[in-house]
Order: sequence, then structure tokens, then C-alpha cells
Amino acid sequence: MIRISDLEKIYRTEEVETIALNKLSFQVNEGEFVAVMGPSGCGKSTLLNILGLLDDPDSGSFLFNGIEVAHFNERKRADLRKRNIGFVFQSFNLIDELTVFENVELPLIYLGVKGEERKKRVEEMLDKMQIMHRRNHYPQQLSGGQQQRVAVARAVVNKPKLILADEPTGNLDSSNGNEVMELLTDLNEQGTTIIMVTHSEHDARYSHRIIRMLDGQTVTENILV
Amino acid sequence: MLRNYFKIAFRNLWRHRVFSLINILGLSVGMTACLLIFLYVRFELSYDSFHSKADRIYRIVCDIKTPTETLKPNGPSWAVGPHLMGDFPQVEAAVRTTGDEILVRKGNVKFQEKNSIWADSSFFEMFDFKLVRGNPHTALNEILNVVFSESAAKKYFGKTDPIGQTVLITGDGLTAKVTGIMKDIPENSLIKADMVVSMNTITRKFNPTLNDQWGNYGNNTFVLLKPGADAAKFTAQLPAFLERKNGTEMKQLNMYPTLYLEKMRDIYLRSTRDDSKTGNINNVYIFSLVAIFILLIACFNFINLTTARSAERAKEVGIRKVVGAGRSQLTRQFIGESVIVCLIAFIITLAASTLLLPAFNLLAGKTISNGIFESKGFIAILFLASIAIGFLAGIYPALVLSSFKPVTVLKGRFTTGTKGILLRKGLVIAQFTISIALIISTIIVYNQMNYMQRQDLGFSKDQMMVIDTYGDPARNSFMQAVVTMPNVKSVTMSSSVPGGGNPGAYSKIQNVKGEMQIANLDLYFVDWDYVKQYQIKMVAGRDFNRSFQTDTTQAMILNEAAVKQFGYRSAKEAVGRDFDQWGRKGKIIGVMKDFHFRSLQTDIKPLSMRIEPNGCGLVSIKVSANNLPKTIAAIESKWNTLIPARPFSYFFMDEFFDKQYRSEQRFGKLFLNFAVLAIIISCLGLLGLASYSTMQRTREIGIRKILGASVPNIVNLLSKDFLKLVAVAVIIASPLAWYAMHTWLQDFAYRISIGWWVFVVAAFAATLIALMTVSFQAIKAAVSNPVKSLRTE
Repeated sequence: MIRISDLEKIYRTEEVETIALNKLSFQVNEGEFVAVMGPSGCGKSTLLNILGLLDDPDSGSFLFNGIEVAHFNERKRADLRKRNIGFVFQSFNLIDELTVFENVELPLIYLGVKGEERKKRVEEMLDKMQIMHRRNHYPQQLSGGQQQRVAVARAVVNKPKLILADEPTGNLDSSNGNEVMELLTDLNEQGTTIIMVTHSEHDARYSHRIIRMLDGQTVTENILV
Repeated sequence: MLRNYFKIAFRNLWRHRVFSLINILGLSVGMTACLLIFLYVRFELSYDSFHSKADRIYRIVCDIKTPTETLKPNGPSWAVGPHLMGDFPQVEAAVRTTGDEILVRKGNVKFQEKNSIWADSSFFEMFDFKLVRGNPHTALNEILNVVFSESAAKKYFGKTDPIGQTVLITGDGLTAKVTGIMKDIPENSLIKADMVVSMNTITRKFNPTLNDQWGNYGNNTFVLLKPGADAAKFTAQLPAFLERKNGTEMKQLNMYPTLYLEKMRDIYLRSTRDDSKTGNINNVYIFSLVAIFILLIACFNFINLTTARSAERAKEVGIRKVVGAGRSQLTRQFIGESVIVCLIAFIITLAASTLLLPAFNLLAGKTISNGIFESKGFIAILFLASIAIGFLAGIYPALVLSSFKPVTVLKGRFTTGTKGILLRKGLVIAQFTISIALIISTIIVYNQMNYMQRQDLGFSKDQMMVIDTYGDPARNSFMQAVVTMPNVKSVTMSSSVPGGGNPGAYSKIQNVKGEMQIANLDLYFVDWDYVKQYQIKMVAGRDFNRSFQTDTTQAMILNEAAVKQFGYRSAKEAVGRDFDQWGRKGKIIGVMKDFHFRSLQTDIKPLSMRIEPNGCGLVSIKVSANNLPKTIAAIESKWNTLIPARPFSYFFMDEFFDKQYRSEQRFGKLFLNFAVLAIIISCLGLLGLASYSTMQRTREIGIRKILGASVPNIVNLLSKDFLKLVAVAVIIASPLAWYAMHTWLQDFAYRISIGWWVFVVAAFAATLIALMTVSFQAIKAAVSNPVKSLRTE
């Protein structure tokens, strides 16, 4: 599903040049659950941003379902993104002005799904995530675990092929964290490909494969399953 | 999708209530000011547009060239109108009108009708003054036909039908027949009349040769050209027409008139005759500009606050992009929000304008509009305009916001770009430039007003009561009765008083070379004590004196301006020279010091005075300040016994003279109001920006305080940047305002010079206002606990 080769990303300020990704190459197959680990500054987040089409690489190739997307323009990237990729963040990133229901509904709106269909799908999803009773609450009124469940609901409501999770349990206590990991595992079992950046060995053990990074390169790959 | 936009827009507005309030309030105030000014401008431009034939109606004006000057009477000679009709097939109708104040009596009801006119018979065909009763084609055909306005008719006839009834008009009590009732003439009409009397009364009964008098100038003459007739071609034929009709007399008198046309619709704002140009196109331009400026200031606030707040919206933008929003969708969302804010402001504007309109009418001194909903189309335009404003004010913030990269903003690595800061600074400078320029202008306008009112006029207007007797034969006995009253100091008579109009007389005065020079001299007929009572100073020769018998017919006094016109280097030289004026010949016996017999907007013109008791209708009574009401009551009771036919009315000289400045005072007041508004809106914006930038620097302030910064240090830190902007604005605004006001002052013959202190005061005021606005926020931030502010980061 994803094949990157010789991916390079360099951040330049006036005096310093930081190589975030250094000729990185790897491949993720459909249905896989991959964890990316490594110390702070090793390039994990940069990688995730490029995989999520939020950022573009300076050089190298990025094949998404066999299509070269490394140098797509913003409109094309946005289009590919909204149809195929869901995001889960450490800090949830819910919109404070929208209710739980409306936050989850947002991707469907941008996809142009009709109102009735949207309602059905959002409710289904909220039910599945067991936050139906909170549908009219605002994010600030929820606990961290509940907020992350809403964020996951939002990420998967449009049935993306790929979920990118950036430290999804980083802001949660262990029991809420485990709950979220169970959720991701369930989704993976239903066929969604997941790539997750994490610091936690515990969380990484939910995945099939761990890619360890250092200074913008992969160091080892452990296959867990 | 739209519902989602609305939802988030309203929730956002509500969450940031203070900013929303500043935004909406600023826009509403700006739009309200703009709407009111627009109504005013529209009204000023609407003069005489209600005549359906307005595009074909022209007024004929006339310049007369004499060997030494060009005279500008208010109209051509009496003969021009009727003769044009005979000579030019393209002239469909010609109407002459003459303003008057006619005494009207019906039983016990009597009024001096101040807005009366005599008009030719096609008056109601040429102009769209609707007759509710009577026939517009025949109402003014016969002599002594009268048409009243509805409200005037009510005074004399109450509920009875006026048509066919009679009233007594003029001091002679002529019986006139009411032949029509017209709708009250609207305010935006150059011709104002409550009563129209047939011109035939004058041309057939009073003065049967008038229609052929070519040397008798000053009559308002309107022509209606046939559809398709070329006005320029018509004008080109007029010199030959005059030559044909009046060539011999022109040569004889050495006076050569030129006729030209003024479009009916242009007279009010653009006429070359000051008496008709009661409006002022420059004021229309100035106010339009002010309206645009105020709206701009409000829009700038909007742009500033929205972009300044963009950091806060950045996270939302990031998330929306991540879940699939395209840039165009986000742009639409933000423009939509801005349009919503403008529409809320639009609704507030409608309410505020409706509430303020009566006060604004009062301020403008006329009913510019009876209600903002008078014209539905206009409201529709305003509605579209507010959408447009929302669009324009929203487009920049929308583009900025939608361009955020989700990666950056979601990581919190977001900082507002220097471009945005530069833009905001630029807009603040623009706002303050406009505000400061308005402050400077207001100071100058008020100074000029003050100057005009305090200027030594060269005569005394205090405690001077003036009564118009309209030449009533009993006025002499009235004067004699009044002069003996205890609180009356002196009484005199004249044809004119300062601040009112006076005739210009065709005169020949011996000049320094000894020739009899032709001139159009302003003329006052006066009584013996006039110069004394008005405390006009003599600079050479002597005042009129009862002991010189010849003074009654053969003496003239000139002012210094006249002496100069005839080439004399000193006033003394002019004394003893000859004059020939309106059939009287004699000597110049004295020269008086120039006094302002017109407003200070005009230069003091050459003036002559002669004793002519028959020409004097105005009685001036110098009264003592003690017990004024009793004195007035006593004078009124004398009037009622001696001149019972006429209603008693009077005015005081000082108020009467100041009336001339009423439109300038209104201009000043309007200007002041809008200047204050502009400053308020600018400050609202500044307040918003200051509180925003303070909020953004909370962490910095906390760190600085922990490192030992004092409260004044912090206030200084936060205010400095804004004050710099104000300083730049002062530098830009001063020359602009100087230039604009220098130009404005050119309208006044007697004017202040613009002192440097004006700019200092304005700069100081603006700085102070800005400082107060900004430091309010800065102090709040500076005194807060640094631990708290650091924790919030």
C-alpha cells in the first residue's frame, strides 16, 4: 500500500541545516499495523506528516497505492487525504466550538455526504465508540479518554484505508490508553492499515511490526507477529 | 455544509464576545455614519430632480460688462423672458418669478407671507408643483390670481373650500381670488413658496411697460426648451438676440449684458450666483469623503482584529485541513463568517439609523429623509453593500487563515508572519491618519467659526431690535411713538441692515481723474441717525446732518472700499466729489470706515448711503438691556394701535447677523460629530489590537516581571509600539489636513491663518487617546501575577 524510497527532508533555518529524513526507505502492506519508534528528533513526526500528505519530501519517491504522490499539489493532496487517510493525534485536536457529533461529522461534510446518510454514519460510529450519550457535549466537557475516542471516531468515520496515529495515548492514563489501543486493534482487524508513532514499548506491542528510527534513518525492524 | 459554517460562526462570535462586540460595534457605527451621510448627500443632490422636465428647464443668468467691472445681477432684464418666447421656436415656455413678502389678510387672520412669489402663467406647467385644486393651465392667467400651498390655505380658510374665495393682499389691500391650492413645496426645491401670485398683476396692472423693459435687471427667468433642443446652440444665439432687441440702449449706457443658461438641477449646488447657490458642492464632496473614510476605518478594524486573531483560529484551520477541507472551502467559510458579522452590523445599522435620523435631521437643519425605509431600493443596495463589505473585509483574513499549513499550526509552532504585522501596522496608521486629519480639520473649522463671530464688524449689533414695516405709511408715527419710550435709546430707519440683502444701484461717481465712472454700487437708504445709531465710524468728511438742508437729496456717504474703487488714495480726496445715482445728483459729503454689511465670507464691497425716507422700511430700535420683555410688549402694543393691518414681528440684529453662519455652524457640528465617530472607531480597533497583542505577550510579560521589570516598564513596552504608529500618522495627516483646510478656508474672505499649535494639539489629543486606550490593557497585563501567566502557557 505504501512504498517509500530514498525519502529526504531537510529543514533549513538561516544558520542551521537539520536533516529530518535521510534517504529513508520502507514499505507497508495493506492491513498491516506498524509502530514507528525512536528518540525525540529522529524524524518520526516528519515521516508521519509526509505519509499523511500534510507535508512534502524534498526528494525521493512516495507511492500510495501504486501512485507517485511525492509532488502532488495541495488540492490533489487534500483530495487524496480526505478519501483515504484518518488521523489520530496525541492532543486529540478536536474543534472546541463543535459538539462531539459535529466533530465526527466534519470529514463527511467535506466529502460531500448527504445529511441523512451523515447522521446515520456518525451515530453508528458514536455507538461503536460508546460515546453516543455524549453526542451533544463540547470537547472541553469530556475526559481525555472520551476526547480521544471522539478523535478516533472522527478519523474512521469516512472508512479510510489508512490511519495515522501520532502518540495516540500520550495524553492519557494507562487504562484509557489501553482502551484506545484496543480500538485501533479492532479497526486493524477489520482491515484498516495503521501506522502509529509512539514512545511506548507497551503500545508498540499491539502492532505487527516495529520500525525503529534514529537520525532520519531506520535502524531495525522487528516483526512481532 | 452551510449550516456548519453558520453554527461555527455564531459560536465563535459568542465565545469571543468582546472581540465580536468591538467588531460589530465598530462596523455598525461606521455603517450608520455612512448611511446617514449618504442620505444627506443624496438629499443635497436631489434638489429639483422631482420636476419631470428638469432636464429641459434652464435658468437664464446674466453678466453685465461695464467699462470698469462685471456686474452679476440675479437675473436678466424683465423683457428677456417674454421676448425669448416670441423669437425662438425651441423655447416651449418662459417663466419669470420674483420673490416677495406679501401681506395677506382674510378677516381677522393676517400674515406677512415670507415665501411669496410672483410668477408667470405657465409656472405650474413648467414645474411639477402639483395643484390639488384648480387648473394648472389657467390658475395664474388673470391679474390678482393667488395659489396657496395646502398649509398656507389652512391658515386663512380652515376647513372651508378656498377656491373662488378672496383675500386682501399687499399693504394696499388688493382683492385677490384664490384659483388653486398646491401641495406644499418639498424641501429639496430651489423655488420655495407658500403663495404664488400671477405675474400678470405686475405686468398688466402695476407696470404695463415692464415686459419691454431691457434695462431693468434682476428677474429670475426660467425657460423650458423643447425636447431635443440643443442648449448650447440656443445659448450661442443669445448675443445676436440681445443686439437685435436692445443694441442701441446697450451702447448708450455702456452696459453689455451676456446671457447664459444654468441647468435647473445644478442651480442649488453649482450656480454662479451666491444668492441661489444655497447648497455647496464642496460640502457634498467633503462629506462623501468623510463617509468613505469612516467606513474604511471600520473595515480596517475588522481586517486587523480578524488577522490578529488568526493564531487562535489556526488550530481549527489545521484540523479542518487534516480531516479533508480544501483551501477554497476554508476561504468560503471565513468570508462567510465575515459576511455574517456585516449582516448583523447591517441590522444594527438599520435600527440605529432609524433612531438617529430625527436627531440627524435636526443637526442638518432640514428633513433630509423621513425614514430610512422611504426607499426600498436603497435598503436593498445597502444590504448588498454590507455583503460586499463583509466580502472585502473578510477576503484578506480568509486567504491568510486558509493558507496555514496544518503541520505547523497543529504542532503549535505557529507564529504570525511579519507580513501580517506590517499590514496591521499599516492599517492602524491609515486609521489614525484619517482620525488625526479629522481632528485637525475640526479644530480649524471651529476656529474659523469663532473668528467670524468675534471679528469686529465695524458696527454695533448689540441690543438692536429691527422691525420690518414693509414701507407702511404709518411707520413715521410709529417711530415717533417708540422713541419716547423709557427703555428705548434711539430709533432710526433704513432700507437694509447688515446681514440682509441690499440693492445695487447703477451709479456714476467722479473718480480720481475727474471722470464720471460707472459702477454698480451697493446702496443703503438711511435716515439721519443711522450711522450714529449703528456706531459706524466716519474717517473723512461728515455724517448726514439735519442742519444741512441739501443732505436730504444731494448728499452721499461712501465706504473706504468705494473710495478705493474710484482711485482715491485717501478718503479725504473723495469728499466733495460728484455723484449721479438713480436720478439724484449731488456731492459726496463723507467717507465711513469699512464695516461688514455682509458675512465674513465675502469681501467688503463698495457701499453708498443716501437719505431717502421713502425707501426705508426697516425700523431699528436701540433698546436698553433692562426689562427687555416689557419694552418689547410696549413696542408691540404701539404697533397694534398704529399699524393694525400688519402682524407684529421683529428680530434682534446680533442673531440676524449670525444667521448667515448657520450653514457653516451646521457644517462644523456635523464635522465634529463624524470626527469623534472616526476616533471612537479607530480606538475600538486599537483597543482590540492592544488587548490581543498583550494576550499574545502574556508569557513574555511574565518572564520580564520575574526578571525584575516594573509595571511602568511593562506599560512602556506594550504602549511604545502603538504610539510609534500614532506618531507616523501625525506626520502623514498634518500636511494632508493642512492642504485640505487651506483650500476650504479660501471660501472665506476673512479667515484665520492655520497655526502650528493646531497640529500640536491634534497630535497631543490623538496620542493621549491612543495611550489611554492601549495602557488600559497594558496596565492590566503588567499588574497581573507572573506565575499565573506562565502557567497558562
